[in-house]
Amino acid sequence: MPQVDQFESVFRSAIRDVFHHADPGIHSVLVVTDLDAAGAGAFAEKVKGFAAVLGEGEDLDWTVVTGDQFRTTEELQILIERESPDLICSYRNLHSRAWRFPHSLGEHLDIIVQRVPMPVLVVPHPEAGRAYEHALENTNVVMAATDHLSNDHALVNYAVKFTEAKGKIFLMHIEDDAVFERYLEAISKIPDIDTAEARESLAAQLLKQPRDYVNSCVAVLGEAGVPIELKCIVEFGRYLKQYRQHIEKESADLLVIHSKDEDQLAMHGLAYPLAIELREIPILMI
Amino acid sequence: MTATLLSASTAGAGHGTPQFGSTTFIFAFLLVAMIACLALEEKLHAKKSVIVGLFAVVGLLLAAAMGILPFGDVMLPNGHHIAMPVFIPAIDWGVICIIVGSSIFVDVTSRSGLFTWIAIKVTKASTGDPLKLLWYYGLMTVVFSAVLNNVTAMIIVGSLTGVSLKKLGRMDKLLGFLIIEGLLTNIGGLLTLISSVPNIIVGNAAGISFVKFFIVASPYVAVATVVTLLMGAKLFGIDRLATEDEKKEAAFLVSGFDENDRIENRGLFFFGAVMLLLFILVIATVSVLPVVKLLGMSFVALAFALIMLLCYKHEVDPFYKAVDWDLIIFFMALFVVINVMEHAHVLDLIGKGITMIIGDGKNSFGTGALLVSSAVFSSVTDNIPLAAMLAKILGAQGVESSSALWWAVVFGANLGGNLTPIGSASTLVAVTIIHKYKLQMSFGAFVKKAFPYAVVQIFMATVYVLLLMQLLQAE
Repeated sequence: MPQVDQFESVFRSAIRDVFHHADPGIHSVLVVTDLDAAGAGAFAEKVKGFAAVLGEGEDLDWTVVTGDQFRTTEELQILIERESPDLICSYRNLHSRAWRFPHSLGEHLDIIVQRVPMPVLVVPHPEAGRAYEHALENTNVVMAATDHLSNDHALVNYAVKFTEAKGKIFLMHIEDDAVFERYLEAISKIPDIDTAEARESLAAQLLKQPRDYVNSCVAVLGEAGVPIELKCIVEFGRYLKQYRQHIEKESADLLVIHSKDEDQLAMHGLAYPLAIELREIPILMI
Repeated sequence: MTATLLSASTAGAGHGTPQFGSTTFIFAFLLVAMIACLALEEKLHAKKSVIVGLFAVVGLLLAAAMGILPFGDVMLPNGHHIAMPVFIPAIDWGVICIIVGSSIFVDVTSRSGLFTWIAIKVTKASTGDPLKLLWYYGLMTVVFSAVLNNVTAMIIVGSLTGVSLKKLGRMDKLLGFLIIEGLLTNIGGLLTLISSVPNIIVGNAAGISFVKFFIVASPYVAVATVVTLLMGAKLFGIDRLATEDEKKEAAFLVSGFDENDRIENRGLFFFGAVMLLLFILVIATVSVLPVVKLLGMSFVALAFALIMLLCYKHEVDPFYKAVDWDLIIFFMALFVVINVMEHAHVLDLIGKGITMIIGDGKNSFGTGALLVSSAVFSSVTDNIPLAAMLAKILGAQGVESSSALWWAVVFGANLGGNLTPIGSASTLVAVTIIHKYKLQMSFGAFVKKAFPYAVVQIFMATVYVLLLMQLLQAE
């Protein structure tokens, strides 16, 4: 019955995903390094300065892990379980020289990011020298990126948590135009569907949902009196290329992304290439 | 004019002492076969218009061959004669125009986002509480069924129910909601003269005004709605939310609905709302409005449709396409079949049978029996042929417009649809939505679920009509 479907579409379209603002609650941070005590201390201080927005003194408990406290991934995992922090902070290619080759996170982070429930803040390697000048200075400009920005309260809440007062958050949703074109090519071969109309309606609908969600985030944070400017980047494009362009253009200090995918053991489809290739700024992987 | 044309075309039928010969029985068999085919519409995979259209063609051919049709010119009110195919004056163009006009008017008004705005506002007002939602959706079903047609009301409320219960995580209650809403469409369809086709046909034939229809029907509709909702909440276990957390969560979820989503043009939205109110007002007062009363309700429906179409004057085609042509052609063919049956004295034969039931029309048993038998008949086949035939028969027998017999037909024809899923188009829509959500609901299962409600509603209607009869007789 086409009319039932038409009205269902009308009502489904009227549903806005309302942002649910909640503090993610970060009270303890575990800084994992493969450095000696002095190097680890210096690295931890740098990170503390960068993440000052999380709190100071007794509000936030910092624990620093040095290189001699673990060697294998199992040992690191046991250590994390024992400390049970709210946030882990580390860098790529622990206990390895592979940081010279930008092709992996290293065996420790590859697994830890997937195995532990808490978010992992991956910062540029202290020796690699790839970080932007402004990286690890502050969190004035934070970007939250996803390929499906809707009802993603955790992503936005972590972005809010990490953004300094009067800072900016860019909520980015990129629709893959290659996938979109492939579907439209299939539609163009179906005589019952008007291709031009399908292109227009589908594109509008795909971008409408994330835009509505961003509007909801703006409204809810405004009502809560959070002193942060929220900006919306919702568009078609190629994931990596587009994200990189925006990060460079806005001089982003932090990128927040999802890393876990409950349907698979591997990392979330968008997270892995971003974590591998965007080595110039810190990435919060939740 | 329709009445004049009809009387001209039926001039040869004769209402004196009908002779029931073999011709009458051949056509009676044809009528029974058509009703059986309508009852088996789903099994035959044929649309109503095609089924009845085929019987109209066969009926006309047979009647012409047997020489029972009054061929000749039709006399106009000004005394002029006009040549016209014999089946054209057989059609009640007043009814056809009301249906075409109203459906275009409602469709264009719907485009303004008015009905979805109301539906979403109601959802938000419920704060997501299942029991409140059931009451609000139930009342909305009744009001929409009264203002729109039953099928459109069921489509709007049923599709919203599916979407909102899914959003609220209450899909376990969907079956109960949809069945109750389906049943309520037929109660809402009783509210006004234009709420359902049987009302239009019977009301027109009996000469009942819009206001009188509303005054008589509304007390029953109010009580039956409340009883149905109370029974529904009890039998389907639809309760209020227990804890504060549940209430907060539900309120948060429904707050996500945006009632303004479909409003493309604010001006058009308000214009649609004003026009809808005006439409109801003019329809209600058509019998006392100077000039307009001469043109009738069909003119009002078509005029309002045209005014609304002016808002989309460059793109009217989609609205014309949206008209239910199956329904329109079905009516046209049905009027032709009934006209043929009239000439073949089949209606006299049925009328004789009905007279045996209703007697002089002034005894309680007869009136109650007419209501119950109309309901039973409507439960297995379309209620429109029943309403059209009975209206014709009662009219031919000179039953007064104040008689409770007309109301027995109206209540029986509308409420019979609640006994089975094929009894009315709106319950069929409810079952279609139930199946769309992969819920199991066979014919028997529907009857089992709906039977208690239908029995209570028909019992209440019988008592109500009998009380009405006492009241009318006392007057």
